[in-house]
Amino acid sequence: MTQQSLGEFEELVLLMVAALHDEAYGVAILEGLEEKLKKKVNISAVHVALKRIEDKGFVKSRFGGITEDRGGRRKKYYVITALGKKMLDNQYALRTSIYQQIPKISFG
Amino acid sequence: MKIIPPKRPLQFLRWFCREDYLEEIEGDLTEVFIKQAESHPRQAKWKFTWSVMKYFRPAFMKSFRNSYQPNSYAMIKNYFKIGWRSLVRQKMYSVIKIGGFALGVAACLLIALFIKDELSYDRHYSPQIYRVLGVIIDEGDVKKGLAFPAPMAAALKEDFAEVKEAGRYNGSELFGAGSSEVRPDGTVENAYDEGFVYFDQALLNMLELPFIYGSPKTALSQPGAIVITKRKADKYFPNLDPVGKLLIVNNRADKPYTIGGVIEDFKATSHIQFDFLIGTEGLEFWNGEQKNWGASNYATYIEVQKGVDVAALEAKISKGIIDKYLVPSMLKDGIPQAEIDKIFKEKNAHLELQPLQKVHLYSNGIDDSLVHGDIRIVWLFGGIALFVLLIAVINFVNLSTAKSANRAKEIGLRKAVGSMRSNIVSQFLYESILFSLISFIIGIALAALLLPYFNFISGKSISMPWITFWFVPSIVALAVMVGLLAGIYPSLYLSAFKPIQVLKGNLTRGAKSSPLRSTLVVFQFTTSIILIIGTVVIYRQMNFILNTKVGYDKEQVLLLQGTNTLGTQVASFADELRALPQVVAVSTADYLPVRGSKRNGNSFWNEGREDIDPGVNSQFWRIDPYYINTLGIKLAEGRNFNRELVSDSSAIIINKKMAGKLGGNVLGKRIYNYAGLWTVVGIVEDFHFESLREDIQPLGMVLGRETSVLAVKLKSGSMSESIALLTQVWKKFTPHQPIRYSFLDERYAAMYADVQRMGRIFTSFAILAIVVSCLGLFALSAFMIEQRAKEIGIRLVMGASLKNIFNLLTFDFIKLVVVSIVIAIPLAWYAMQQWLQDFAYRVDITWQVFAVAGLVAVLIAVLTISYQSVRAGLVNPVKSLRSE
Repeated sequence: MTQQSLGEFEELVLLMVAALHDEAYGVAILEGLEEKLKKKVNISAVHVALKRIEDKGFVKSRFGGITEDRGGRRKKYYVITALGKKMLDNQYALRTSIYQQIPKISFG
Repeated sequence: MKIIPPKRPLQFLRWFCREDYLEEIEGDLTEVFIKQAESHPRQAKWKFTWSVMKYFRPAFMKSFRNSYQPNSYAMIKNYFKIGWRSLVRQKMYSVIKIGGFALGVAACLLIALFIKDELSYDRHYSPQIYRVLGVIIDEGDVKKGLAFPAPMAAALKEDFAEVKEAGRYNGSELFGAGSSEVRPDGTVENAYDEGFVYFDQALLNMLELPFIYGSPKTALSQPGAIVITKRKADKYFPNLDPVGKLLIVNNRADKPYTIGGVIEDFKATSHIQFDFLIGTEGLEFWNGEQKNWGASNYATYIEVQKGVDVAALEAKISKGIIDKYLVPSMLKDGIPQAEIDKIFKEKNAHLELQPLQKVHLYSNGIDDSLVHGDIRIVWLFGGIALFVLLIAVINFVNLSTAKSANRAKEIGLRKAVGSMRSNIVSQFLYESILFSLISFIIGIALAALLLPYFNFISGKSISMPWITFWFVPSIVALAVMVGLLAGIYPSLYLSAFKPIQVLKGNLTRGAKSSPLRSTLVVFQFTTSIILIIGTVVIYRQMNFILNTKVGYDKEQVLLLQGTNTLGTQVASFADELRALPQVVAVSTADYLPVRGSKRNGNSFWNEGREDIDPGVNSQFWRIDPYYINTLGIKLAEGRNFNRELVSDSSAIIINKKMAGKLGGNVLGKRIYNYAGLWTVVGIVEDFHFESLREDIQPLGMVLGRETSVLAVKLKSGSMSESIALLTQVWKKFTPHQPIRYSFLDERYAAMYADVQRMGRIFTSFAILAIVVSCLGLFALSAFMIEQRAKEIGIRLVMGASLKNIFNLLTFDFIKLVVVSIVIAIPLAWYAMQQWLQDFAYRVDITWQVFAVAGLVAVLIAVLTISYQSVRAGLVNPVKSLRSE
């Protein structure tokens, strides 16, 4: 893969994984995003993004223990990798640097 | 209550989702669902379903290529592989199985196309159109005719609200319909053409014939208008719109026809086939003809309103027309009340309505001078097709079970390693479908190859419907179906083998001639023998027709047609012909003793009895004094016409039938018909002037001037030389009209073209059935001999001769063939008796017919078996006995 890219929604999910640290699994990420974004998000969208960023190597995953309220299914926890963290840093730095170029003119 | 996610979507998810993702996705989905279900249970379910749908994308799906490959796929592949191998291993049996099947398929396909074509007749016309039939029961015979008085169509439309439209055509040669010499105005060369008819504008409207030029609603509405078909327009007016142009018919330049329109050619599947439709507007063949209820010359068609009860209408029309018009008209003509009562009460004369779609196949016995199909032929063909296919299927079943021993070990092994019976059944079904598919492909190719020949014998122009949407799917469906049908018995039979027994090697099943197999052989041979008998009977009847004494001499008679254009010169032309050395006699002969020539039906009475007796229905011909000699008709009593006697203008010569009907002893007496009083000067022996299907009718002949056809009796010798001489004379008289002639014996034979066709068809089918049966018998005998190889070996060692072995092996089969003969004879006799009923004059079915058919069958069977038998008798017994 020559150039790693990160879509907008993927970036949000990655951020959320990083923010939740050790507690990031599908539903937790979904709820976190819904709370921050103030809108409904479909769980499938979260899964699609997770699979993509996992393929890109920004997160890694492991299965947790069995829990009752999931019909006996295990949770899958995601943790951000060093590469993922670097990607987020780069993104943040890029945006900040461009943001700072905005002239201080009064908007309004 | 425990909240659980909806079942169906979950199943769906589990079905398509990748296994490594499934746990996480299902868990997360369930968690979300449970959380939501606490507040909005219904909504949660929808949401769950919706979410599942959103996972249905490639990234989350299993790879179906690898995982969705159930065992059965590999198994089916294996079935086909094993099927193919056994097909290749036993080449002879496979060729016979597939070849026989393919023949059956080809025959079936051709016949199916034929039947489809027969059934498609007149479907393009409105189903509301009916043809009016006149029915009368005369001495037990139901006679149906089409000819009606001119004003009937108008009366039907006027008097009955149910009748939306009524129209007529008149195709009678008496009025100049049929064939004529034609040329466009402004040219001089006449051309001969057929298909002239007088046609109502109303009938044109009713049939909704597609117009190329001209207005459909008014094309025939002007007096002297004519509508022609596209092919005739292309012939006479190439590349231009001929509407308004003039057409001169039979040199009548003073009375040309104006072209009112051009229609598409009548479809091949239309019972109405004309090329020149002459409008009837303002047309009267004699003064008052159009108002006359006494002369019946018009075929009448009606279109009824939608939703009308046709049976009720039929009765209503019948009564209405008879009471209001026919009876008063007959009374006015002086026909006594008693006679009228006899016609309508005793003979139950009435009208019937025949739907147009039934005209082609259900017009047997209707005298309409059209070429018809016959529903019986359709059934017959369908039956034959089915039988040929059945024979082929039987071969298949027979061979499959007969060869079962060779597959027994395989089946035993399959069962031993865990095959269920159902697996074995399906294996053999797949195998038979494989055979069926191969056979169908070969069969279709064969049918395509044979189509031209089939068209020739059936008189059709059918093409393969490759491109129609239904063809390929229905053929494939049929192939699979036939394959299944043929495979059911063998597969059940083979799958019943017990593994321990067959693996031990003491399988005796299938070796002996089983009763079922014998039945199948008998069935095949019965079918073949019936077809052979049918063929023989048809050819004997045809032979009888062609060689029977018809009462006149049809050999060496040349018919010159279109001589009416000579006008007054006909007489001198005839005289000049008589002067030629090759010419024996010349006569004007419009009324020929073959079907389809000019006819004129009339009633005769003894003088003074016309108001008392019923009339004698007879033909009334106008001939010249040379007619009887030219055609070699024999005078029984009295004399021929004499040109010198002026009084002969009111003389009549009648046939014996007429003399009998008039009470006998009429020579020298006077008889009456509408045209006057006639003195009987001669009585001729009866001769067949119609087809041999009908009895000879009464006939009266008087002198008259009819000049369309000249009959020229030639000396035997070089025909081409005589024709060259005739042509010279012809050219001298009419340089602008090509000479046109035919031969009386050919015209006679043409009357029985359908019989000849039947003969050819039966021959083809008989050969086909025999070939397929023989293929079966050949393979079966080979198998039987293989099974009895050891027995034969021992017999040979013990000193049996080739002859002994041959007899031993052949006798079993001959028995079966003899049984077939016994079954076939009564069936064939009954069927052919039915067919011969159509002929008033027919051959008897003698025992020789059956003897010939039986002998042929036995001979064919012996020949088929003998190859194998002789081979078995010549083989070195050591070979077959060594293995023990």
